[in-house]
Amino acid sequence: MTITPTTSDDELLRRMRAGEAPAFAALYRRHQGPLYRFALLRCGSPDTAADTVQEAFMGLLSGRLAFDPLRGSLPNFLFGVVRLLILKHEAPRRRESPLPQADDDDTPALSCDDACPLTRVLADEAAEDVRRALARLAPHYRDAVILYEMHGLSYGEIATICAIDIGTVRSRLSRGRAALAKALRTHALDAN
Amino acid sequence: MHDDLPELPHLDQRLAQLRMATTQLDAPRCVEKELMQAFTHQFARRRPSHQPWHRRLGLLEWSAAGVCAALTAGVLGLLLVPPHLVDGLPETGALVRIDNGAAFIALDSFERIAAEPAPRLVEAAVPRTMLAAFGLPLTPENAGDDVRAEMLVGAGGEPLALRLSSID
Repeated sequence: MTITPTTSDDELLRRMRAGEAPAFAALYRRHQGPLYRFALLRCGSPDTAADTVQEAFMGLLSGRLAFDPLRGSLPNFLFGVVRLLILKHEAPRRRESPLPQADDDDTPALSCDDACPLTRVLADEAAEDVRRALARLAPHYRDAVILYEMHGLSYGEIATICAIDIGTVRSRLSRGRAALAKALRTHALDAN
Repeated sequence: MHDDLPELPHLDQRLAQLRMATTQLDAPRCVEKELMQAFTHQFARRRPSHQPWHRRLGLLEWSAAGVCAALTAGVLGLLLVPPHLVDGLPETGALVRIDNGAAFIALDSFERIAAEPAPRLVEAAVPRTMLAAFGLPLTPENAGDDVRAEMLVGAGGEPLALRLSSID
């Protein structure tokens, strides 16, 4: 049976588990882009982003991650996995730094020096300013803002991915956007 | 898009710029390559090898197969052996008892014979060839003979049993 863009994720998963390499390749190519972009904006490090995407798919491949189609879509499940992997990666740093306040929008920017491929790719200076401002947001605001603004997910989907309720998604998104707007305004004033 | 979010037109425009700038970003090619290698490695272990099937079976599998085959043969043997070979009686439905040259052949069940209210005894001559079916001795010399018999019949004339005074 051939694989088309309309072949469902469930069908690809079933064929992947039956040992069809093209099904796994199709599944990876279908979802790697959004997952990588989310990871990259979330953690700021292309290497960490690539590692987390790879680890998420490895979990799917080995069966270590038990995806249940009845509990949600595969992309959202993978977003959740990538987010948890990034949190796990950030855990040592979080232990050493104080907890962010609810309206804390002054988190130090994630490391992404001039050699960072993301910086090189984002030749558009305006886009790079937004990325830097986003990187300064507290992680819990960053999750909501990236998933909503960059990936167009609904409040419900974000709530599932971040394991929080919809009201919390709404407030985090509102505060995250406000903090982002403020950071961009400040940056514009400084530049002027 | 932001029904319940504060309007921040400038922010939306800036976010759209970032969205446009990152839309083509993909994971490095090496990630896919490593994943496909892992996939091949994982399923190579599950895939059957090119050895003949009998060489892929280990001692445990062969032992289990042997035990299964022996059990199957035993069960089939018991099922396929004719019942008359098991209990030593001819397959006639009659009960035969031979004692000191005399034979008693029950043509019906003992319960039916015992329950018969008015049995009668009738003298008869029975061809020896017919009695061979009940397991009585038959030789080429006596094959054409008749045997004197007493037949027990029921009130309705149905035969219940035969008694052969001398079968030799």
